[in-house]
Amino acid sequence: MPPALLSIRDLGKHFGGFHALKGVSLEVEHGEFIALLGPSGCGKTTLLRCIAGFLAPDSGDIRIAGDSVTRLPPHRRPLNTVFQNYALFPHMSVLDNVAYGPRRHGVPRAEAAERAAEALQLVGLEALGARHPRELSGGQQQRVALARAVVNRPKLLLLDEPLSALDMKLRKRMQIELKHLQEKLGIAFVFVTHDQEEAMSMADRIVVMNRGLIEQVGSGTAIYATPATRFVAEFIGEANLLPGAPDGAGGLRLAFGTGAVPYHGPHPGADARQNHTGVLRPEHLELLDRPDAPGFLTERGVVEDVINTGGQTLVMVRVGDALLASRRLGMPGDGLNRGAPVVVGFRPEHLHVVTGEAPP
Amino acid sequence: MTAVLTTTAMPPAATAPTALRRALPLLAAPVAFFVAFFAVPMVVVLSSSLAAGGAPSLANYARVLLDQYHWDVLAVTFRIAALTTLAVTLLGYPLAYYLVRVVSSNALRRSCVILLLLPLFTSNIVRSFGWMILLGRNGLVNDTLVGIGLLERPVRFLGTEMGIVIGLVYILLPFIVLAVGNALATVDPTLEEASADLGASPFTTFWTVTFPLCLPGLIAGVIMVFTLAASAYVTPALLSGGKITVFPMLIFQQYSTVFDVHYGGALSITLLVFTLVLVALAGRIGNGGGDRS
Repeated sequence: MPPALLSIRDLGKHFGGFHALKGVSLEVEHGEFIALLGPSGCGKTTLLRCIAGFLAPDSGDIRIAGDSVTRLPPHRRPLNTVFQNYALFPHMSVLDNVAYGPRRHGVPRAEAAERAAEALQLVGLEALGARHPRELSGGQQQRVALARAVVNRPKLLLLDEPLSALDMKLRKRMQIELKHLQEKLGIAFVFVTHDQEEAMSMADRIVVMNRGLIEQVGSGTAIYATPATRFVAEFIGEANLLPGAPDGAGGLRLAFGTGAVPYHGPHPGADARQNHTGVLRPEHLELLDRPDAPGFLTERGVVEDVINTGGQTLVMVRVGDALLASRRLGMPGDGLNRGAPVVVGFRPEHLHVVTGEAPP
Repeated sequence: MTAVLTTTAMPPAATAPTALRRALPLLAAPVAFFVAFFAVPMVVVLSSSLAAGGAPSLANYARVLLDQYHWDVLAVTFRIAALTTLAVTLLGYPLAYYLVRVVSSNALRRSCVILLLLPLFTSNIVRSFGWMILLGRNGLVNDTLVGIGLLERPVRFLGTEMGIVIGLVYILLPFIVLAVGNALATVDPTLEEASADLGASPFTTFWTVTFPLCLPGLIAGVIMVFTLAASAYVTPALLSGGKITVFPMLIFQQYSTVFDVHYGGALSITLLVFTLVLVALAGRIGNGGGDRS
């Protein structure tokens, strides 16, 4: 089996007393689209900068196609980067910016200009080669940065929150374009973002990071439906958390309203000392007509808030001490007013259990 | 109808003068200062240089420009200024780079800058006297060089162009370090990272990205140092030992000893014009460099 395109083994990095990476391991295959997702300070940008060579890790190894690059300076690494602020050279024309990479690899001036023009065509900016970066809009600068990064046809492209400076609409359009470009060129992307929707809609696999560690690696569907930890459950989408405790017989009891739900399904770690939390997505918590709806576990509650998010309605229901969220398509119906008594329930198969305590 | 027209026309017509009226008190002080301490003296010098024997005349300029001696002194002056500028640039640029890019501790950087600026708090005269002592026949510099065996016998620094250049370099170094340092600090480090990412070695990155981007700051510093060196009086006067004459010394003699304000004025304007021409040329080169890259 050929080695993975990018193989990161046990990477660690300190900044003074701050432990930015605590032993991160990751493999990226050829042509894969990987999103590094996490809150600020989780280590995703540090990881990216270690791969690019701008930061030297304290420990661990980075291999590209089997060869260790950990000790190589950035200009000797076979990869390219799209920077968050684009980092276009302000004293050069757009064409010269894009031709900079080929020129540094010894390509003659005329051929470098030709390749640069091709790369600009790829992002639809072939007409703007003579301009200077400051004469371009944010979206155009973004495309130039992209053209400059792919002109050398790297096998691996690192992107550091490349869309974060664009407005919502442009951002959505660039997401689609970026994904198409990635598929067309067959370049593996490692894409840093703190926007889960962006990660969900673009990436083949999402790497969820928190406090210098990888919490979970998986497809968008997998990390949403079966989060590995309480952090992932809460960070990706919204979640109702049901505090759990071992029932002494290998199963769990999850607090739901005044009672407790027995749970005997799969859960990570049967260790009785470990705490467990039940995760229930708001779309799986339904408002029911009667408390004995077949196949449902139900509780009585009181409507605390009704939030119309346009096409979807979020109903916050007070059940016992817990405030649970129920989401459904459509507008809020009649009778769903604050203080109205309701019955909420869910099918037990929608319950997913993770380790880690629910917040008090 | 007329009423409507006047009311709609009023605001733009009224705001412009109002803005100007508000700005005037703020502008008055600097304008008055500029007129009193820069424009008036210049006009006085210029008009006195254009008069001889109580009548308007170009005789003073003829006296300056037709005398080979003045051209020789001008050549010495600009040679010293150019050498000083070159030495200051070669010393100051790496120093600025070191302070801005290499020193990572803010405290160390701040103390280095204070150390660099500290000499500016003492007078030129004191500092130049210091160099007279250091550069003398039995001064510290000669003693050291002879002591470590680099020289067989003491070298004469005082009364040579080299001695003057050493004194001027010492005085003018902070100016170039500050100008280049400021320019370097505004160069975004991610641009250098982008350059490295695209395959450029640190050497190539410096010459294709860092250096062109701080060229405007370097040129500003060079112009400042060159004009200060060309117009310096105290340092050359003290370190020349009476053996070398630079243009500002001629001007000083006419004003302070001979009291010939007409001839002295013509000398001043001559130095000013030549300096301006050279600075304009330097600026042109700088602009050309900026456009090309």
